[in-house]
This record gives sequence, structure tokens and C-alpha cells, in this order.
Amino acid sequence: MTTTENDRLLLNAYIDGELDPAHALEFERRLADNPALADERTRIEALRGAVRERLPRETASPELRRRVAALARPRPFATDWRAGPGWGAKWGAMAASIAVAFAAGSIATFVAIGPGSQEPVPEILVASHVRALMASQPIDVASSDRHTVKPWFNGKLPLSPRVVDLTAQGFSLVGGRIDVIGLTPAPTLVYRVRQHVISLTALPASLRASGAIRPIDGYNVVEWSDGPLAYWAVSDVAAPDLENFAKAFRAGEAEP
Amino acid sequence: MDRGDSKARFANVVMPHLDDAYGLARWVMGNRADAEDVVQEACLRALRGIGGFTGGNGRAWVLTIVRNAAYDWLRKNRSPAVVHVDDLEAVERMQLADNATSAGDNPEAALIARADEAKLEAAIASLPAVFRDTLVLRDVQGLDYREIAAITGVPIGTVMSRLARARGRVIATLGADT
Repeated sequence: MTTTENDRLLLNAYIDGELDPAHALEFERRLADNPALADERTRIEALRGAVRERLPRETASPELRRRVAALARPRPFATDWRAGPGWGAKWGAMAASIAVAFAAGSIATFVAIGPGSQEPVPEILVASHVRALMASQPIDVASSDRHTVKPWFNGKLPLSPRVVDLTAQGFSLVGGRIDVIGLTPAPTLVYRVRQHVISLTALPASLRASGAIRPIDGYNVVEWSDGPLAYWAVSDVAAPDLENFAKAFRAGEAEP
Repeated sequence: MDRGDSKARFANVVMPHLDDAYGLARWVMGNRADAEDVVQEACLRALRGIGGFTGGNGRAWVLTIVRNAAYDWLRKNRSPAVVHVDDLEAVERMQLADNATSAGDNPEAALIARADEAKLEAAIASLPAVFRDTLVLRDVQGLDYREIAAITGVPIGTVMSRLARARGRVIATLGADT
């Protein structure tokens, strides 16, 4: 049994979950017949495991973060961040509040328009998602155990979301947080797929979307209703992946 | 789009991906100081170009700009040793075909699984640039093939072959190490 160049490409794609089901099945048969290929699979998985577990995730330094945030800050005066060390720190501190200001701005719009209007909800949810991504932890309660996450919400909010275990479908629960939409505190579940974060917020069904929802600044938004609740999922995963997530969540068995 | 709008969008689209941006730049540049300069330059470009971002994948968009900024920097400031990929890939293909027959009880896998951080990092860092970028985008940053193809500007088939070679090389380096 020889291992061809093509086998190796397919093996890598298979391990990365990039083969469609029909090709994956065909490849699994080939894998079963070819011990050399099966060995190669073990080595590649060992490598992937070692990279995942042992290489530290590089993070931008606070100084770099300040410098970049300063670029995004509206400048009322003609001043450059390079103007001096004193300025640098001051601008940085001010710039760090941008995301907050952005989120607050959206909420102000919502409140001014009134709770009857549904238009700004997606924007607010995206802003909350972005702000959570920029915080060191996108979650208030970190747990992959739905039996921990659900009671955490129960103790704080009148509104309690379904918490579904989707590990088998590739979406792992990492925790939850509370977002404030207008004046309504809302439970948000946080899932992860590959390196992407998905925020799933439960809102009263009265805040349902009135029409088609468009992606906002590269974040896809999916919304569906379930009895008295409307669920909103926000993420930068590709739209079909987010649809799959929504489908899996709706089909999933809720925490009893 | 007015400047305030650009900045608000920049905060929304670019800022959440700053760690990924820095992570990629760090691998390409090889040191912290140059990586930070490259990220800052890339962010300036992103801010100027934010009007052209039509939605879609923000992370892939940001990483594309970072990678371009990094290679522009390398071309300007370092020796022109930025490899001819075509030659390299032909050589690799032959080498891969040669050592494709190793079988048995797989002692290499155990060595690879035990490789410490320094060895892993060195093995990845010593890869030719295009192989290293592909491996880092996939295995360190978790992007899918389509995203990697968009960022590196090559067809998906090329992503597949680069990734197979990159992993093959790192496995050979770590597996040979006793």
C-alpha cells in the first residue's frame, strides 16, 4: 500500500475537518487500509495537540493596545499620540474607554427611540459582543458545565435561557455573562468554535427582529424565537456556521 | 464616510482582533519590537481602508493587512532572502514522496507529543515563510482553509499542500530529535 502525495493532502484536510461527509467517509476507508497513513495521522495529531497545549497564545502588549486604540479615538485637538510620554498615557486611558463609549452610544439611541422600536437591537448586541471580546474575558461566569451556568443566571435574572450542550457539534460552552440591552439585563451564553466566540443572548420575544438582519461590521447575527424568548446569536464565524449553530441549539436538548 | 464613523468602525472591526494581529506579526517578524511596529502600521492602513471593508470576515480582513504590512516591511528592511516558493515546493514534493513509507509503532509521535515549547517554537520558526504562515494561521490561530486562502492570496489547493508540507517538516524536525 503506497501513500501518495494526494493522500497526504487529504489526510491533513481530513484532520482539519475540511472534507465534506462523502469524502471524509471515503477517506476513512482508505485510512483503515493503510497503516502508514494511519501512523502519519497519529503524528499530525500529536503535533496539533502539542501546538495547542504548549505554545503560548501571543497577546498584544498593553502599550501596543494603547497605541492602536489611540488611532481610533476621535481627536478634538490637533494632537498626535507621539506628542510626549504624558500625552501617551492620557490618550491611552481615554482611548481605552472607546468601546464602552461606543456601546453606550448605541444604547442611548435605543432608549431615545423607545422600547417599541426593534431596529437598534442587533447593533447593541454586536457592540456588547465586541466589548466582551476586547475585555480580557468575554464572560462573567466561566464554565463549560451547563449545570453551573444555568443556576448562575437563575440567581440574577427573571429571564432564564435554555443552556444546551453542543460539544458534539463542535461548539463548546465557555460560560455566560449579562448584557444590558436598553434597560433590560439579558443573559448571554458564550460558546466557542475553533478560535471564534459566539455570543447568544436571550431577550423577551417582544424585542424580535422586524425583518431580515444584515451583518454588522463583519459580525453575523442570527435570531429566532422560542416561546416567550427571542434568541440572538452574534459572531464573526461564517454565516453558514452560525446558522448551523442556531440549528443545533434549537434541536439540542435543554438543561432539564 | 466621515472620520468619526471610520474610527467607530475601526474600533469595532479591528480592535477585537489585535491579539491575532500581533500573534501573526510576531511569527512573521521573529521579534516583539518589529512585530509591534508592523501591527501599528497595519492598523493605520486598516483605518485608512475601513471604508473598503464591505463586511464579511473581519478577522481575515485584518490578518490580510497585517501579513501584507509585515512582508512590505521585510522587503524594505531585510535581505532579499524571501524564498522562491515554486522551487521549494517542487523539492518538498520529492522529499515527501521519499519518506512517505515509514510505518511501524510510531515512536516519532511520542517524541512530538512530548516536545517542549522551545523546540516546537524553533521548529516552526525555522520553516520557510510561506509554510510557516500557513501552519500558524491554521494550527495556532485556528482559521479554516478558506480564510487562509483569502489571507495568503492563494487557491485552497495551495493552502492544503503548504500545510501538509509545513506539518511534514515540523514532524521530521521534532521526530528526529532525541
